[in-house]
Amino acid sequence: MIFGVRHSVAVATTLGTLAAVIIAVFTWKGAQVTSETFLVTTYIGLFLGALWAMYATGLVVVYTTTGVFNFAQGAIGVFAAFFYWELHVNRGWHSILALFVVVGLFAPALGVVLDIVIMRRLRTASLVVQLMVTVAIMVLLLSVVGDIWEADTARRVPYLFGINNGIDLGPSQLPWHRLIVFVVAIAIAVAMRYLLRRTRIGTAMRAVVDNRELAALNGARPNVVSSTSWALGSMLGALGGILIAPELGLDPATLNNVVIIAFAAAAFGALKNLPMAVIGAMLIGLLRAHTVAWLDFGSDFRFAHLSIAPLLLLFVVIALPQARLEVGRLVHHLRRHERFTKWWEGLIGCGVIILLAVAFSGGWLDFGIWDPGAWGSRELNSANEAMALALIGLSLVPLIGWAGQINFAPLAFAGFGAFVYLKVIDGGWVTFLGLDRLGLDPQDIRDIDNGYWILLVGLLCAPLGALVALPAARLRGLYLALMTMAFAQAMSLIFFPNPWVMPIIGTGRQFPHIELFGVTFDDRRGFFLLLMCVFAVVVYALVLLRRSRYGRRWMAINDSQAAAATLGVPVVWTKVVVYALSAVIAGIAGVFWATVSGNVDSVQGFDLLIGFNIVLLVAAAGVSIPVAGIFLIFIPLFTGLGHRLEDSGNVDFLVTLLDIMTTYGPGMLVLGMVFNPRGAIFEMGRGFSPILPWRSDARAEIAAENAQKREPEIGELGIERPFTPEEVIAIDRRLGILDEVVPKEGYGTARS
Amino acid sequence: MALLEAEQVVMRFGGVVALDNASVDVDPGEVTGLIGPNGAGKTTLFNVVTGLLPPTSGTVKFDGVDITRAGVSRRSQMGIARTFQKLEAFNTLSAFDNVRVAVEKNHRAKWKHQRVNDVAHEMLGKVGLDDVADVTVGTLPTGSARLVELARALACRPRVLLLDEPSSGLNEEETTSIGQLLLGLVADKDNDLAVLLVEHDMSFVMGVCARIHVLDFGKIIAVGTPIEVQADTAVRAAYLGSDEFRGAYVGVDE
Repeated sequence: MIFGVRHSVAVATTLGTLAAVIIAVFTWKGAQVTSETFLVTTYIGLFLGALWAMYATGLVVVYTTTGVFNFAQGAIGVFAAFFYWELHVNRGWHSILALFVVVGLFAPALGVVLDIVIMRRLRTASLVVQLMVTVAIMVLLLSVVGDIWEADTARRVPYLFGINNGIDLGPSQLPWHRLIVFVVAIAIAVAMRYLLRRTRIGTAMRAVVDNRELAALNGARPNVVSSTSWALGSMLGALGGILIAPELGLDPATLNNVVIIAFAAAAFGALKNLPMAVIGAMLIGLLRAHTVAWLDFGSDFRFAHLSIAPLLLLFVVIALPQARLEVGRLVHHLRRHERFTKWWEGLIGCGVIILLAVAFSGGWLDFGIWDPGAWGSRELNSANEAMALALIGLSLVPLIGWAGQINFAPLAFAGFGAFVYLKVIDGGWVTFLGLDRLGLDPQDIRDIDNGYWILLVGLLCAPLGALVALPAARLRGLYLALMTMAFAQAMSLIFFPNPWVMPIIGTGRQFPHIELFGVTFDDRRGFFLLLMCVFAVVVYALVLLRRSRYGRRWMAINDSQAAAATLGVPVVWTKVVVYALSAVIAGIAGVFWATVSGNVDSVQGFDLLIGFNIVLLVAAAGVSIPVAGIFLIFIPLFTGLGHRLEDSGNVDFLVTLLDIMTTYGPGMLVLGMVFNPRGAIFEMGRGFSPILPWRSDARAEIAAENAQKREPEIGELGIERPFTPEEVIAIDRRLGILDEVVPKEGYGTARS
Repeated sequence: MALLEAEQVVMRFGGVVALDNASVDVDPGEVTGLIGPNGAGKTTLFNVVTGLLPPTSGTVKFDGVDITRAGVSRRSQMGIARTFQKLEAFNTLSAFDNVRVAVEKNHRAKWKHQRVNDVAHEMLGKVGLDDVADVTVGTLPTGSARLVELARALACRPRVLLLDEPSSGLNEEETTSIGQLLLGLVADKDNDLAVLLVEHDMSFVMGVCARIHVLDFGKIIAVGTPIEVQADTAVRAAYLGSDEFRGAYVGVDE
């Protein structure tokens, strides 16, 4: 243990206070603080805190009772808010009736359906699959909202009882709406606490997550319990969404991002402590309100107040005591032999990728309507974007696929890579460091082959990856997921919008065409070929890495951190190294991404949702296999195909179909992980590999599986006819394994 | 002075006292047994000794050095290795790669001049798993996976080896050969190895152990040679209150 419990809390509190004081001193607006303004600010803060507490309560309830951390909590709120708008505003229903239909009927139904169809099956799934699936639900819900309620109309959800009715507070008014929100949020938190601690169903809920089988034997019904949790969690999300919508406006992305604040609040209560989570939410609310009131960050940091939650999360993570390495949770059972691609197989595969790329861009392969020979600049741009995204996707392979650690911030790392590249090739740093006095000319810098700078970008990204992972690496994997998400948000709020980071100058190309080995890739087709080659090289490097001692060690910590540690593997350090490597790949990919469009908008335009989609697609493809990154080609492929269909005046139906595939594809694919956690490429590989002449093992495996599927002949079992039902009962009774002995909802049903 | 000493270890989980002033000492050159009914705290003691659990109070000393606050991987580098009662093999790796992870980490410090693959093959050979070296461990039967864990632990070239029920999932013949292997390892003066063995198979324990500690409800209730322990009335009472210590116990085995 690095820190004792009290020690780490003290360190985090000191750091947090220090940061707050320093920031406050430098950004003080100079407005006069009166008791009135202070009070009004405080009550706004408490009100905001109450709203976030509602979300956090839902998260904590579901997490303590089902063990699944629901990233879709915010999206449920978004959907509910739009649904409420539809009923109340658009159709003119009374607000109470609409509220009842959405929160009382629709939300619990959604929760129960989610539980029955998906969540129950995730109980024994890995953290990666659990998180990916809830993120997929989030993305799907947001897509549905975007499709039903198109963004072209302005919508407002009114305050309950109007904004003008309320209690007079002197300088301002406290509308009923806000008062009710505050009271309801606190009441809900108290009620949930009571439910979990004092009631029979609550005790059963907590027992089931600890030991499902044991709880079942003691009369708890695990399925009823988990459905109840999801119904409750979904109701809380829906209520939160409807009540927060009048304040934030009815915008899916804004409403969904509320959930990050709720994550930080939940983390404040170590994800399981409800009162602490509520306090955390209030703390964030107060900090936010007072920051907005008294501090001025200037236009360069105009979104800084939004980053309070990510910062709080960081300090919470520093304060949390080191997690114990869990033992005894491992299920020793794999159905299939695990085979690693051999070095020469990787070489052949990458050769095929490059050959295909050459044939593609040369226009020698005709794909009918999607004919690369006829590609215009738009299609080529799509293809290049796709390849750059695929490169970013590759950064997830060692991290998520092998080490089993989550990273929702691949785009933040890519953006950082692009930023470093922009600064490095500019040569301005030569003057800045005073190197021009040594005879170095910024112009010389611009003449150096870009390849060196791209490698340098990779090197500079490594420390960033390590830095992001370091505080959370000693905790459970979920905290790493939350940290990367907070990091991604903080980067897109504070770092990328800053004009110094990525100044927008004129309309020209800011990222010059890449020059490698003396060749300038200023032609889109040539750049496509370059990207394919880089992709193939990185894939091959990963194939080799997977067979190396590092790849082995990473897969070992994924299988059992405790065992790896007892063999002398430093688990925390190992995780940090994988994050650094992932950041290197993502950073280099970011350079190519930025170069595709050439301007800084493309990097500034990165938002969390695109990042999620990349992670989802790679995961659905089969994140442990390097070539899975190529799945990302689907996004622009579908869009590009859509463009062409539209241009050629083809049937609307196909265009709509492609549209649906682009918006819903990633989410739907990931839901497939519930049933097939290894991903699509893995299954495709299983179908494909028996064709390869040297893979006799694959053919043997298929044959063995087919043999197993065959029902044994009656004669082989040593009996002459099948048992009658009466005989089965008689045998069961003799063996003492009659059904009555085991509770109906228990062990047997859980496994089936 | 013993090589490994756990002194007055207390481990509390909320209201449950899993270890209550338990003291265990292990000497090199012999196999020391640790027996007791289910839930007596044997695995908890292993977790405390290897650093997976920080004890509520008490100290753990290795070679005279207090390691109570040392991290898990630090202890491994010092020379403490273990296997697990509930399997913790690297399921997605082959048996060979499981062992290689251990060898690679201890390569420079402990296997000077030897090639990683040679050491890994040697360790697999010792536990009799040569022919399944390339099989993914997750697809192996439980008994074999247990042997992979043993080979992996041996690949750390430990000075203290903690074995948590190595014989479960093995047949009688395999159990005997594991017993022979352990006796051979501790007898070899070059190894300077101490083994602490948790086991439910009484004939196995009585056959290989020089000394036995008996744990019951977190307390050490007896220490002695197999013959002394079998004659101890407190031990007999702990095992179902039966006089037929040996017979009654074998039936309890999971």
